Amino acid sequence: MNNAEQIKETIARIFPDVETVICYQQGFDGLHATPYFISIPEQVNKLIWNPLCAQNLTSYLPSIKKKVGIVVKGCDSRTIIQYLQEGLIDRAKVVIIGVPCTGVISVKKVLREIGHQPVVDVVFDDNGNIVVKTQKGEKRLAIADVCPDKCTTCQYPTPLVYDHLIGEPIASNKPKEDVYKDIREFDAKTLEEKRAYWEKEFERCIRCYACRNACPMCICQDSCIAETREPHWISQRLSLQEKFMFHMIHAAHLAGRCVECGECERVCPMDIPVAKLKKKINAEMKELFNYETGVNPDDKPPMYTFNVDEAKIKEHKL
Amino acid sequence: MSGVAGKELRIVGFLCNWCSYGGADTAGVARFKQPTDLRIIRVPCSGRVDPLFVVKALLTGADGVLVSGCHPRDCHYTDGNFYARRRLEMLKRLLPFIGIDEKRFHYTWVSASEGQKWQQVVTDFTNQVHKLGPMHAKKESEG
Amino acid sequence: MRVGVFICHCGNNIAGTVDVARVAAEMRKLPGVVYATNYMYTCSEPGQEEIKQAIKKENLDRIVVAACSPRMHENTFRKTIEKAGLNRYFLEMANIREHISWIGEDKELNTAKAIDAVKMAVAKVMKNKPLYSSSFKVNKRVMVIGGGVAGMQAALDCADGGLDVVLVEKSPSIGGMMARLDKTFPTIDCSICILGPKMVDVAQHEKIKLHAYSEIDEIKGYVGNYQVKVRKKATYVDWTKCTGCGACMEKCPTRNAYDNFNFGVAPTRAINIPFPQAIPKKAKIDPAFCRQFTKGKCGVCAKICPTGAINYEMQDEIVTEDVGAIIVATGYGLFDLDKFPEYGAGRYPDVITGIQYERILNASGPTSGHILRPSDQTEPKTIVFVSCAGSRDKSLGVPYCSNFCCMYIAKQAILTKDHVPDSQSYVFYMDIRSPGKGYDEFTRRAQEDYGVKYIRGRVSRIYPKGKKMVVRGADTLLGTQVEVEADLVVLATAVVSAPGAAGMAEKLHISYDTFGFYVESHPKLRPVETNTSGVFLAGACQGPKDIPASVGQGSAAASKVQALFSKDMLESDPAIAQVNTNACVGCLKCVRTCPFQAIKEEELRNGKKVAKVIETVCAGCGVCTSTCPCGAIQLQHFTDNQLLAEVNAICQG
Repeated sequence: MNNAEQIKETIARIFPDVETVICYQQGFDGLHATPYFISIPEQVNKLIWNPLCAQNLTSYLPSIKKKVGIVVKGCDSRTIIQYLQEGLIDRAKVVIIGVPCTGVISVKKVLREIGHQPVVDVVFDDNGNIVVKTQKGEKRLAIADVCPDKCTTCQYPTPLVYDHLIGEPIASNKPKEDVYKDIREFDAKTLEEKRAYWEKEFERCIRCYACRNACPMCICQDSCIAETREPHWISQRLSLQEKFMFHMIHAAHLAGRCVECGECERVCPMDIPVAKLKKKINAEMKELFNYETGVNPDDKPPMYTFNVDEAKIKEHKL
Repeated sequence: MSGVAGKELRIVGFLCNWCSYGGADTAGVARFKQPTDLRIIRVPCSGRVDPLFVVKALLTGADGVLVSGCHPRDCHYTDGNFYARRRLEMLKRLLPFIGIDEKRFHYTWVSASEGQKWQQVVTDFTNQVHKLGPMHAKKESEG
Repeated sequence: MRVGVFICHCGNNIAGTVDVARVAAEMRKLPGVVYATNYMYTCSEPGQEEIKQAIKKENLDRIVVAACSPRMHENTFRKTIEKAGLNRYFLEMANIREHISWIGEDKELNTAKAIDAVKMAVAKVMKNKPLYSSSFKVNKRVMVIGGGVAGMQAALDCADGGLDVVLVEKSPSIGGMMARLDKTFPTIDCSICILGPKMVDVAQHEKIKLHAYSEIDEIKGYVGNYQVKVRKKATYVDWTKCTGCGACMEKCPTRNAYDNFNFGVAPTRAINIPFPQAIPKKAKIDPAFCRQFTKGKCGVCAKICPTGAINYEMQDEIVTEDVGAIIVATGYGLFDLDKFPEYGAGRYPDVITGIQYERILNASGPTSGHILRPSDQTEPKTIVFVSCAGSRDKSLGVPYCSNFCCMYIAKQAILTKDHVPDSQSYVFYMDIRSPGKGYDEFTRRAQEDYGVKYIRGRVSRIYPKGKKMVVRGADTLLGTQVEVEADLVVLATAVVSAPGAAGMAEKLHISYDTFGFYVESHPKLRPVETNTSGVFLAGACQGPKDIPASVGQGSAAASKVQALFSKDMLESDPAIAQVNTNACVGCLKCVRTCPFQAIKEEELRNGKKVAKVIETVCAGCGVCTSTCPCGAIQLQHFTDNQLLAEVNAICQG
């Protein structure tokens, strides 16, 4: 996936129609990519494009008022569509440079593989591997082995919405029925197992709110009810109960909105599988309302609408 | 039927003012006997019930939560219970995923004239929760 | 904060099964509660006085009354504390009667439950904020839906009181069921003779605007300011030109149109005026039968009409009426006898319903008042009346009594004897229900003076035998089976809710019961009010009712409207949604979910976009509050914090 030159060319062309372009540059070492805001075309030289460009840059869009260009992967494009459904951005003010993607890299997984050694250099070979050089030597890892979990079931490698497409569209080669396989498997456990699992996971939460801050759909940001007294849903106590409640709030507020970009899990310093609850709800939204987040700009988020007769909701008997 | 002192469980009920709260009143006026575990919170509309109230109650001490509103199409506020139905159904399906038996949560529709139905709902739900037993006794999650 | 708690004994109603003194003692231990007491009847004058005194003496600023349902006395106590200088929203009620003392037998458990209930109320009241109503103008125009006797009475009483009235009637003429009756019990006075003048009064009253052959499409707004869309259905006759001469009806070649007014006893013409006294007396075309519509050619009526009123191209017309109150008088319907095959109505021409018989008895009916049975137009000599045809039968979904059938059966039996002196009538009945003034005497007259034979028992089957109908049933008094060979069988069909009653209730946002009858605000004390402010009930839409009861309710509803309209301004309910613009992130999800379009986008001076509640439109449902992710829009008096306080009081207590 070496489309960097094409992306640069495209960006050069869309100036001065846009005031800013959001893309990626190298971070503090070769293993980290970081968001890059270009406001003059010359800056484009520092742009990078490789499987380390994992962040969902679209999170910036709702807060930017001016016209902006943005580089998106297939998964990122779902956020844009969800924003459009919710009226959070103006389509006319975004120029989308779509780049088909064969999978990104989870830095956490790579670091685990190299034993958290300082990285000296990173190169990509032509066989789909990442080669990470550290002072202790060199590690060659298949990208497919260190990709985030979301890539293993990716249905939308090609952006669903774009103004400029870089390269050729790619079709998904992952079976559709596998998307919620992990959810089904987890759901098959006993109630006690599931309760114990979440208590163990949430016990680790340090309430740093990184998951919330990284979430493109967490639009409340500074107004988040996890940190207010008006209303006072949870206290600042570091108890399991409060942590559990925080994650339930996060999940409930993303019901039928989570675009499964995985940013919450990517940024969690405690490795809590925070996306899992939201994915479960998404599975139910699909089942109940045949609704999938971020695929069709004309859809209505299911929690903000209703049918007088709900085909799939049966009255519960006691 | 429960009704033994010391063996009561904590059941929280959210009732819409116009239908179900009235239905519970109707049941009272008719002296339809019910188990005593239920504690009722009056809300204007089932659409006011944020599913997170249910979660909050279940996580902090309730053994069961009941939400009751006007029958679909008969909402005092036209559409409130239509939203409630979607949100509460979502919650009902999410609860087992976090290890809470979905039988601890029930949502239903009882009109102001249905005193007898209200009695049935309270009795059946209380019995259902009693079958599951207390949720919090064995799990003292609070440190 | 200084909370005062008042626990009511309600005589023995509460104190009988709740240890009220202990509840009060427990409350005194709660932080914030500085005063708690119990009293025999808190709602009584001295009971309220005690609250006022305590507020002054103890310097209380929040009040909890634990008593009956707030649906009963919340207003009473709000006024009480207001008189003592507190904001009315500093009151909370704990319902320890309907929800506790009346439904549990164990005093120990009831007391524990009451303690929790009062604790919750204390927790909530401590989160309450003072709220202030604003006032808004009332549109002193009233709509009456339904032009039967109840609706007419309501319309006339309102109009006579000086109010502008819009009367909407579904069928082509006002008059309703009463206009179809022959005589009325227990006086045997002619129905249309007493109703006719009232109908004329309605037509001539300068304060009444009548939309006949019209239905309600949509109702928007709130008490004092409703906007109602009325669909004036196409009659294909320009009523401004039609003089009601009836020439069209006479010449219309289609003679097999279904006659709604006569309940199908005989056919009518495709263009017709329903009955001689119709108001308005105008013709209308039934396009299901008219040849111009079914075959595309005819045009006889257009040719014959002396004023050129016929217009085959006419379309429904929608008019919007602005009114401040609505009286619903949509009447009742009749049980569908197809669900009742053993009685054979609809299958055997000589098994008819009570209302059909009424039309046969009526001098303006299809037989000109001669009793002729439908099958062969001969005069029946043996007539069997079957009461409770559907009524009081759980298995048919009609467990209730239809109220007036016993009486009209007696009337019809008496009239039968008058018409056909050598006839013999039989009545199969379950019980004779005749509790009105002069009613029981009337049913006795039927038996004693007119020789009507009353047989106590249900009819099991009706079947034909030659020219006769065999009515087989039980005589439960004699304990035997009886069979009567009748020439004509009249079924007192059950009264059910009017067709479309549920849909109408949904438009009005009022409640209806399992049977589709509308639910009044209180079964005894608020019989014509609904839970929707500004909407009142009259007549059988609330439940089966005879003429005097319907008229009484029509007048009652009118007087309620007069009282409502006696003020120029109404007070708004301040328990509506409010936006904290600091917290609002302008996602406007609340705008999407508000059922009343009461929220719009607003731009603050600093350019920030936020939600804004239109106060007069917000109805206070709180859907926005449970939609808002950041808790920025809060339904006052039912805020997140107030409800959380209640949840915490139960769960963490």
